[in-house]
Amino acid sequence: MDDSDEALMARVARGDQPAFRALARRHLPGMVGIARRILGNAADAEDVAQEAMLRVWTHAPRWQPLAAFKTWLTRVVVNLCLDRKRRAPWVDLEAAGEIVDPSVGAAEQAEIDERERLVQRAIENLPDRQRAAIVLTYSEGMSNAQVADVLDTSVSAVETLLVRGKQNLRRALGHIIEESD
Amino acid sequence: MNNEQLQIFLDSHGAHPAGWPAAQRATVEHLIARNAEARALVEAARRLDAVLAHTTSRLTDDEAAAARVLARLSHLPAQKKPVWRWPSVLLDWQFAPAWPRMAALACCAAIGFMVGLAGLDRTLEGYETFQTVTARTDIASIFEPEALTGARP
Repeated sequence: MDDSDEALMARVARGDQPAFRALARRHLPGMVGIARRILGNAADAEDVAQEAMLRVWTHAPRWQPLAAFKTWLTRVVVNLCLDRKRRAPWVDLEAAGEIVDPSVGAAEQAEIDERERLVQRAIENLPDRQRAAIVLTYSEGMSNAQVADVLDTSVSAVETLLVRGKQNLRRALGHIIEESD
Repeated sequence: MNNEQLQIFLDSHGAHPAGWPAAQRATVEHLIARNAEARALVEAARRLDAVLAHTTSRLTDDEAAAARVLARLSHLPAQKKPVWRWPSVLLDWQFAPAWPRMAALACCAAIGFMVGLAGLDRTLEGYETFQTVTARTDIASIFEPEALTGARP
């Protein structure tokens, strides 16, 4: 049986719940991750991912496979995140886990954690679309064309977002980037 | 290309040559080969890329969060069916060999026109009412509107 995203979506459009769950299992971790990085808040990220998947379910009968399913879903998630950021005041990243490297000592780990927090904070302080472009490029490994597709803009606009975003990050993290090796 | 343009290029496309557009790769590589400052810019861009890739990398927490979201999706609402079903059906209609359908449509229109002219769609009851009204002899009935057409004399 064809289990591509598009084939599963065709089944979801006919009200097939197992197909919907298969699709959700495949894409939810990535979508939660994107939402968490754009929103900086794990609880909100889960809400956004849930809202996006509900939209997949409810709108499936009207879905047209004009773009790849993942691109469309990512666009839904990013737009929901940007909407939420416009509406809600900033909430600190509290619940997100930290990557723990067992090979380093406690003091060194604390320093790494602090550095990670600073980088995370610098990314969170970027303007919304710059942050979205950075997250999609580095977290999802998307090309500039794919990011443009998700953000519904041109490739040159994405390049501008990346250039400005990185300029802002360099200003905020100059010493951290230099010490990062 | 100067170093300022190289910086913009690296910010747009990253420090890894695999992500560079083929049209500009040779120019960039040539600049890097002959310019120490350009090499430093590439190195700094590589460090920034590494920091961003590490910080935005997927966490194991995302899997757990996804499982929680999936559990919350156990009760799904009704799906939204397309409101404009008929227009979409008509839009999907294959008009490719159009002439038989156009001929059928023209025939239907012609038959409808003939039926309308011949009055085959009118019932006899209306005709009888008309006869009854016109058969009345009192003078007031002359000024009453016609029952069938509503026209006044």
